[in-house]
Amino acid sequence: MDPSEVEFLAEKETVKIIPNFSLDKIYLIGGDLGPFNPGLPVDVPVWLALNLKQRQKCRIVPPEWMDVEKLEEMRELERKEDMFTPVPSPYYMELTKLLLNHASDNIPKADDIRTLVKDIWDTRIAKLRLSADSFISQQEAHAKLDNLTLMEINTIRSFLLDSLNCMYKLRSNLQPGSSKGQAMDY
Amino acid sequence: MPCERKPMRYGHSEGHTEVCFDERGRFIVTCGNDGDVRIWEGLDDDDPKFITVGEKAYSLALKNGKLVTAGSNNTVQIHTFPDGEPDGILTRFTTNATHVTFNSSGSRVAAGSSDFMVKVVEVSDSSQQKTLRGHEAPVLSVTFDPKDDFLASSSCDGSVVVWNIEEQTQVISWPLLQKTNDVTNAKSLCRLAWQPRAGKFLAVPVDTKVHLYERGSWDHVSTLSDDLLTQPINVVTWSPCGRFLAAGSVGGSLTVWDANSKLCVERQKHEKGFTVCGLAWHPSGGQIAYTDTEGCLCLLDGLSTSASDGDAPKVPTARGTDDTGSLKLGQDKFGDDDDDDNDTGSAIVPPSAAPPVPLRPVYEGPLPTHPQKAFQSGSTPAHLTHRFMMWNSVGIVRGYNDEQDNAVDVEFHDTAVHHAMHLTNSLGHTVADLSQEAVLLACPGTDELASKLQCLHFSSWDTNKEWMVDLPSGEDVRALCLGRGWAAVATSVQMLRLFSIGGVQREVFSLPGAAVCMAAHGEQLMIVYHRATGFDGEQALGVQLLQLGRRKRQIINGEPLPLTLRSHLTWLGFTAEGTPCYVDSDGVVRMLNRSLGNTWTPVCHTRETCKSKSDHYWVVGVHENPQQLRCIPCKGSRYPPTLPRPAVAILPFKLPLCQTSTEKGQMEEQFLRSVLFHHHYGFLSSSGYEVDEDGQTRSQKEQQELLMKMFALSCKLEREFRAVELAELMTHNVVPLAIRYASRSRRMALAQRLSELALEKSNQVQEEEEQDEEEPEYSGIRRPSGKSAPLAGSAGKANKAPVLKPLAPRPKPRSKVPSTLLHMTGTKAASKKTPDSTEPPADQQKQPEVPPPASPAENTENKRPKTGFQLWLEENRKNIVADHPDMEETDVIKDAMGRFRTLSADERLSWTERAKGQSGDAADLKKRKRGGEGGEDVEKETGPTGADENIAKKKKSLDPSSKLSAFAFNKN
Repeated sequence: MDPSEVEFLAEKETVKIIPNFSLDKIYLIGGDLGPFNPGLPVDVPVWLALNLKQRQKCRIVPPEWMDVEKLEEMRELERKEDMFTPVPSPYYMELTKLLLNHASDNIPKADDIRTLVKDIWDTRIAKLRLSADSFISQQEAHAKLDNLTLMEINTIRSFLLDSLNCMYKLRSNLQPGSSKGQAMDY
Repeated sequence: MPCERKPMRYGHSEGHTEVCFDERGRFIVTCGNDGDVRIWEGLDDDDPKFITVGEKAYSLALKNGKLVTAGSNNTVQIHTFPDGEPDGILTRFTTNATHVTFNSSGSRVAAGSSDFMVKVVEVSDSSQQKTLRGHEAPVLSVTFDPKDDFLASSSCDGSVVVWNIEEQTQVISWPLLQKTNDVTNAKSLCRLAWQPRAGKFLAVPVDTKVHLYERGSWDHVSTLSDDLLTQPINVVTWSPCGRFLAAGSVGGSLTVWDANSKLCVERQKHEKGFTVCGLAWHPSGGQIAYTDTEGCLCLLDGLSTSASDGDAPKVPTARGTDDTGSLKLGQDKFGDDDDDDNDTGSAIVPPSAAPPVPLRPVYEGPLPTHPQKAFQSGSTPAHLTHRFMMWNSVGIVRGYNDEQDNAVDVEFHDTAVHHAMHLTNSLGHTVADLSQEAVLLACPGTDELASKLQCLHFSSWDTNKEWMVDLPSGEDVRALCLGRGWAAVATSVQMLRLFSIGGVQREVFSLPGAAVCMAAHGEQLMIVYHRATGFDGEQALGVQLLQLGRRKRQIINGEPLPLTLRSHLTWLGFTAEGTPCYVDSDGVVRMLNRSLGNTWTPVCHTRETCKSKSDHYWVVGVHENPQQLRCIPCKGSRYPPTLPRPAVAILPFKLPLCQTSTEKGQMEEQFLRSVLFHHHYGFLSSSGYEVDEDGQTRSQKEQQELLMKMFALSCKLEREFRAVELAELMTHNVVPLAIRYASRSRRMALAQRLSELALEKSNQVQEEEEQDEEEPEYSGIRRPSGKSAPLAGSAGKANKAPVLKPLAPRPKPRSKVPSTLLHMTGTKAASKKTPDSTEPPADQQKQPEVPPPASPAENTENKRPKTGFQLWLEENRKNIVADHPDMEETDVIKDAMGRFRTLSADERLSWTERAKGQSGDAADLKKRKRGGEGGEDVEKETGPTGADENIAKKKKSLDPSSKLSAFAFNKN
């Protein structure tokens, strides 16, 4: 899966916008949107919000979790816990990137938020690497990881699967000739 | 020491208050029971800035631009001064703090609390705290030693304790006070005061005397007293020079002693004899500000306490406090009374002339309220540097007034109206309004410049998009608003000036009182003004509603505006559909009910949805269709800040009906609300606006559905009378449904009454139609608006206009009903004729009794697919009737039943089978219909034409019971 595909999925999330135009309900395959009243917040998918924002037809209201204090709290928790902590949105990274790239003027303290989300992301990816490492070194058959987002799984999937494959091959080549003990310290 | 007692003024709601000066003596700062800290630029500051610090403020201290308050949320908070920005929480207690104070340098704060503890906190780092434990009751007061070594505190356990701050130990404790269990029960607040600078003495108010203790030795060195002080002293405070000590007591006595000579140099009495609970000395020493338990702020001016002339007062005081002199002074007093200048305070120039009894009778009746100031609805207070000057349905006007910039930003919700504007505010505009056509701004006049009105008429088609008008000198703009094509300005001389949007002066008239707020919509102008002085926290407001435009008239002629107890107006406006609406400070939204003689109905209580008590909703707009109250939730304040940009939320409306938790109450509320929010259609169409007919029919349908549900509910609850009452509210084409429901649930008496009602209603409709035909022009207007519209229109009228007409003559048509009803059931043709008074009364005698429409069993059968018997009956009916031509309907059926039984079993079976086949068809038919509308509204929805067909079909298949005859009315 390509990161752009995950981003595409993330664009289905809804976000509040404050339109500056007036439009009746629009009926789309995915559901009805609107009505749009100038000055009145309305929930729309991110793709529409970004499109309208680019045409300067709306202001985006950042999601509730996109707030410096809340993110700081989350970062601290993420650093403190060994396990993955629940994330504010299954697409937090993608949404942050999309919204901050296109609507940073509507989001207070955009730079701080970018840094914070990046921190959270880095912490989580580090944890992920760590758990992959221990997974392999302990030669576990299965592992359970909670609270992982699609994008995070996506970053490690190809690498993990390829390396597991690779190791499997190496081991199976070793297997007939050598003892188990040797396979352990590959 | 002559001093002047300034007239007192209201500062806070009643309850404990405190006062202090800022270091430069520019501001008087007070706090009170209402949770606000007010910053007065002087006693005659009419618009003190205020900082809301909580629900209640118990104590405050101010130093180095930091304002420390003890609030009801058990915290001691810091705010910056004079901006009032929250600056964090200094410390917390398990219950509220009672007194806070700064040390002399302002680096530490001491706070005493009702949880028996005293805490000393570093202002710069609130984590450095010292807790002084030892009191066994709530702490009354705390004070720092000016050298910062010690701290003195008094407590309800009766002790006054001196603590060593560093070691957190008690240095000495004196049992001086009476024991109580709580601050509120304490006889005296016992506010201690340490002499500034030298810090030699600690002053402790003990009953009616002040004890002075020497620092270090902790000896009781002297006592300051005054014979005329009869009630306990609440608070003492040293003059900034450290020489004089002022004391305020229960009962409102103020006394100033010279600490060196121990002589009383000044006595004053509170204007109204209220208990003094806050006392502060101006940094220059020339003024004393004091507050009382009723929330008033007063000032003593002209105290000559500076060290240079401090000797001067000694001479008279020496005489005054001499015990033997009291008798002589009593004579002096009589002389003063003759002059009757006691209330100016100058009579007390010989200090002891203040008599022990109040000089004049204390007024204890209701007190006048401060009339609320004029405001623009949708604006935040004018003292803010960044504020909303207007937020309405069109857009936002923001005002910036800081060092770098004095500007006005105009932004439109709908950018199609106009692009955003940025204006430099060189004139200092303070009020603004915004409409689809223009921006109206106004500034108050100054000494040189007149008050100006500036209009940015951006929708103008010529090149001049702006005009400006100077008001006559001495006249200030108080409120303004923009209607369609005109602008209105209310001024300080109680005048209302009307301008056209292009700048032509159109009208000028006087208002009955000082304007509070104005609102405009289309051609309507609403003005709220002060009708009179309110008492005990009430505002006495009046409201005028004018219709401008071509047909000018006054719709509401200055009637009182109802407000919640002790609240003031906070928002005034119109709904988007043009119904006047306002919000008071208690969060109640009221809307004009035009159909009930222009009364005001509360439609929403915004505070009910608030999570915390200090949260408010700041209303920005009201919409009737859809029912929306647009407002901005404000956490812990009454109005939103400009940044971060607030988001609009939507609240639903809810009428405050009884028992809205029950199903009945809920439906009643929904129905009433729907009716109330439906009135604007009538208003709009009568004033020539376009009406959203879809919305109108939808809301009508909703109302009828609700009525039907309520009807069903009251049937279920065996409340038949109520059911009929409800049916009376229904339109004539819904009543048959109710009849059907009633008969199905075997309530024959009810069904009977309802059918009478149905007939009555159809008569009404017919009369109306006849009237309509007489006025062809009128109907001509109504007709072309689609098929359902005329029906809806006339139905709407049936609800409204002729309500009173049929009320009186009702008994008559009722007696007539049975005959007509039966007549119609007998002869189908009658349904085409008008079933009204043309019937000869003889008919009534012929058929005096109304047979129940059908026996319950049959009726329930009718709902089901037809039985074989019914089929058989249809075919053989003619025979039976032929045999017994004068038989009643029920008898016919009875007879038929008998005959059917006599048939052989086979025959009967074949009939039943035929019936099954046919009923399948019938069911199909029904289904097709339901596909269109669904549910029971089939009849209601199919208009007269549809009903025709429907009935025709049923007539064929069913026996013509009276139930069906009800449907027949639809034909008319």
